[in-house]
Amino acid sequence: MKGFASILPGSTIGWRATRSAILPVIVLIALLLIIGVSVSDRFGTARNLWNVYEQSTGLALVSLGQTLVILTGGIDLSVGSMISLLSELISGSIDGDASLVLPVLVGVIMLGALLGAINGACIVLLRVHPLIVTLGTGATLQGLTLLYSSHPPGKVPDGFDEIAYGRLFDIPMGASVAVLLVLLTALFLRYAPFGRYIFAVGGDESAARLMGLPLDRVIVFAYGFSGFCCALTAIFLVARFGVGQPYAGYNFTLGSITPVVIGGTLLSGGKGGVLGTLLGVYLLGLLYNVLNYVGIPTDWQLLVQGLVVILAVSIYVQKRKVI
Amino acid sequence: MLRLKQISKSFPGVQALSHVDFEVDAGEIHALVGENGAGKSTLTKIIAGAYQPDAGRIELDGAAVRWDSPGDAKRRGIHVIYQELVLFPQLSVAENIFIGNERRRATGAIDYRRTRAEASDILKRLGAELDPRMRVGEFSVANQQMVEIARALVQNVKLLVLDEPTAVISSREVVQLFKRLRALRAEGVAIVYISHRLDEVFELSDRVTVLKDGALIGTQATAAMTRDRLISMMVGRDLAHLFPPKRPRQPDRAVVLSTNSLTIAERVTDASIELRAGEITGLAGLVGAGRSELAFAIFGALPIASGTMTVGGAEHRSMTPARAIALGIGLVTEDRKAQGLAMLLDVAANVSASSLAEFTSYGLLTRREERAVAQKAIRDYGIACRGPRTDVATMSGGNLQKVIVARWARTCRSVLILDEPTRGVDIGAKQEIYRIMHDLADAGIAILMISSELPEIVGMADRAIVMREGRIVGEVSGDAISEEVILGMATRDVPAAA
Amino acid sequence: MAAETAKQTSSLRHLRSAARRLFAQVSIYIAFALLLAIAEIASPAFLSGSNISNMLQQVAPLGIVVIGQTLVIVVRGLDLSVGSVMATAAVAATAFNGLDSDVFPIIGVSLLIGLGTGLANGLLITKRSVPPFLATLAMWIVLEGCRYAYNGGAPSGNVPAFFRVIGAGSFHGIPYNILIMAAIAAVFVVILHVSTFGRRVFLVGGNPVMARLVGIRVDRVVIASYVLSGLLAATAGLVLSGFVGLVDNFVGRGFELDSIVAAVLGGVALSGGRGTILGALVGAAILVAITNAVLLLGLPIQFQLIIKGIVIVIAAALHVRTAAAP
Repeated sequence: MKGFASILPGSTIGWRATRSAILPVIVLIALLLIIGVSVSDRFGTARNLWNVYEQSTGLALVSLGQTLVILTGGIDLSVGSMISLLSELISGSIDGDASLVLPVLVGVIMLGALLGAINGACIVLLRVHPLIVTLGTGATLQGLTLLYSSHPPGKVPDGFDEIAYGRLFDIPMGASVAVLLVLLTALFLRYAPFGRYIFAVGGDESAARLMGLPLDRVIVFAYGFSGFCCALTAIFLVARFGVGQPYAGYNFTLGSITPVVIGGTLLSGGKGGVLGTLLGVYLLGLLYNVLNYVGIPTDWQLLVQGLVVILAVSIYVQKRKVI
Repeated sequence: MLRLKQISKSFPGVQALSHVDFEVDAGEIHALVGENGAGKSTLTKIIAGAYQPDAGRIELDGAAVRWDSPGDAKRRGIHVIYQELVLFPQLSVAENIFIGNERRRATGAIDYRRTRAEASDILKRLGAELDPRMRVGEFSVANQQMVEIARALVQNVKLLVLDEPTAVISSREVVQLFKRLRALRAEGVAIVYISHRLDEVFELSDRVTVLKDGALIGTQATAAMTRDRLISMMVGRDLAHLFPPKRPRQPDRAVVLSTNSLTIAERVTDASIELRAGEITGLAGLVGAGRSELAFAIFGALPIASGTMTVGGAEHRSMTPARAIALGIGLVTEDRKAQGLAMLLDVAANVSASSLAEFTSYGLLTRREERAVAQKAIRDYGIACRGPRTDVATMSGGNLQKVIVARWARTCRSVLILDEPTRGVDIGAKQEIYRIMHDLADAGIAILMISSELPEIVGMADRAIVMREGRIVGEVSGDAISEEVILGMATRDVPAAA
Repeated sequence: MAAETAKQTSSLRHLRSAARRLFAQVSIYIAFALLLAIAEIASPAFLSGSNISNMLQQVAPLGIVVIGQTLVIVVRGLDLSVGSVMATAAVAATAFNGLDSDVFPIIGVSLLIGLGTGLANGLLITKRSVPPFLATLAMWIVLEGCRYAYNGGAPSGNVPAFFRVIGAGSFHGIPYNILIMAAIAAVFVVILHVSTFGRRVFLVGGNPVMARLVGIRVDRVVIASYVLSGLLAATAGLVLSGFVGLVDNFVGRGFELDSIVAAVLGGVALSGGRGTILGALVGAAILVAITNAVLLLGLPIQFQLIIKGIVIVIAAALHVRTAAAP
């Protein structure tokens, strides 16, 4: 148990440190489950819960990449446009031809990683703040997406939706692959020296430089990984909707930050982890599910989502430095 | 082992080092002393590979070398422990010790069990009782320093440079540190020890080198050196003329500010002091004793956990900077550029910063008046600049300090707190700042001067209060003020180890 | 000897810093003039009377927003909610009966929306320590949610004639919206560059720690800046809705990016404490000229977004290079 506990967010080498970080999230999840069950009988069914689990896949994937970026002390505001662009490229390139599925997916994943790495390279080489770089690349990518949209949207062959909807013994496979990826990333962050450097760079950049840590490579890697996660998210969305869309990723830009903050990762970097983010994703998924059953009219749901974000970020305030 | 020959290094506007020779042998502890600004830190950074010398050569074990980066120097076994700690507060002690140098398994994954065990081992040998699993940020500065030293020691160390290592640690920890350093010396490690604490220099070192104003004054065996000789080499001038003549004692001055059992979370406990009009009160203590925090609390920049302060007859349970200024209190902070100046603006804007209301007419800024006031301050305080519109970013430390003092002189009616007022300031400006302080005191203002330079306390203060680990531990006045007395109260009285 | 060299290096430093400042101020005007020249050569219709009038119409709403964004960026923040405030104000414009008698209530409601958003932004940032980009982005979503809840995604109603005149009409050839922008600019030049409040803004943005230690109520200055930005965004929304003339849920889309790009182009430092309103307005003009040129050159409209993204990264990179302290 000790070994497992050591990969939970906020852990140094001990269970004590972990508890404070993700306990609130677990408590809130439990609370939501209780509320949900008392509000509606259909909430507690395996069907509903597996649905929530399944639908969380996209957010879980993009938030995973965002976590790494935020851990380095940065932010990736280009994820939304990247997902949109990649989703269109997927359906547009495959265009119903089953033999193209594998090469296109591989190509899109590599493209995502490359675009992310370009973000990282701009940050490192131009020494511009990640906020501005990703704001700029996000705009550029959205422009490219809209340009590409003028071509026919293409389609994906039958069976592609298995990626999103496939189940094994009733357990959604897509979501489980996402969980597996999160676990692997957690292990990487814990046991690989390079993974630790991500925390170091986010914790104190000048100290990292003085220690001779490979700062630049860490940053390029984090953003490249975020791009890679965007590609996976795009694949999932295309599997879900059958086609890529020009604003498919629109809500994911802000949407990917909320679970990261809820999960205990500091926006200033250096502290936190991916398991907390995953729990944050499930918390949000359950929350919107419960709100649905509570009977919030559809027109109001966007507003409620926005207020949830405000609530989440204003609770997770970091200790203000007084001097 | 390491030989620096005729090293010179300059920065824009400043010649930091000129033609300095320095060497240290294996199995030697070589002390490096000098005043602030003498060039010690520049020399250290050159040894560490962080700076390149403009001229001169470096030889390691007889062969000429050149470091391209700190990593280069580290690989050759040269490690520097700076005063500003290089640690990752969110990572554990053990991780900090082994970062960049991880203990791994065959698979390449970090072996945490070995990391923990070896970290415990080295910390125990250093006499530091720290749980290696805890986050480094949760420990005191003294313990953090131990972690840094541990980090250097687990690597292949040929030369270890320590920059003011005892500034923040207690006597007991100093004893342990010295034991370890002597052990390292016996193992053949070369050690460069930079310190202001002359007692430590005499206790620990084999040789001592004195730098002054970027030049080498001399190198001698410690055994052949006397304290007076060392001081005169460091200062090289008659100290008596640095400070203005002591002002006559006036016993019954009115108390303008007093704190009553002031406590600030984790920093200061139960501090009760009194500041009297026209009196200069020195506040002494080691770095980390809580002096700056006390000052910030009086000024309202840090929250008061318990206790009160009384200003002008009224008692306050809390304070804000705006209210403090309204009460006539001023604060010259320790870190000029980060806390005391608007580096993007000019002299006039910096001088008027705390009294903007006086330059406001119908909500608009009366810049002409602002400039006139700044011009007068430039004249009165001898600030070397091209007029009120000079960008402060182009000005030197001493002049910047004068700008800040000029700012507070405008709004100060009762108390002026100065935190390390002459740090990083050249001799000429130092003298002028001391004169200004006397003038302000003569005008009836109570001055609280926080200083780590004992000669400054002795030379300037009418009364000296000493703090240690967050508490007021003593007070001396008048002729009883001396460096030994203050140092004795500031550090715990434990006999030094043999 | 040493004293002499010291004085020489000091004079050199002063000269260099003065030169650098002069260059920074003048360079945007040079860039603007160059841009106009190049665009005119590439497409001769560029500097025609009708195109200039067209571009001016586009500059006006952006210019109003940019003024507010400049204030916020100087105070070391960022306002990503401006586009949504504009859209919400535009919806407010159509929420009544479309008559000129509704003008005052419409203005009242819109300004209230701007004020409320700015207040919310400011409080989140100062009292809850939420980073500006996150707080304003969250308010962006909240406002969009409000619009959606209000009209279910199907906006209806008319914009009163008054706004349509203001938004699209001219006074002796000069568009009304430009006159409004100019008036607002004049007021804010005074607020930011002449008033004491403006000095406090620069002090807070340049060094918030120092500002606090000289007795400035940092929180109030920050909140005031976001409130002003919100009010200006609301005003711009009304002007833009008048220009567009019909009802639209997405009026103002993209203005947050545009206003930031314009400010950065205009020399406003993202690190805070530095910038001028005039410079930011020139930046807005440059941006409009670029997007206009894109169309005249026959490039697809999506290129506007692509170029904006590239421009902001390059402009910010150049700032980093030229902003090195002497």
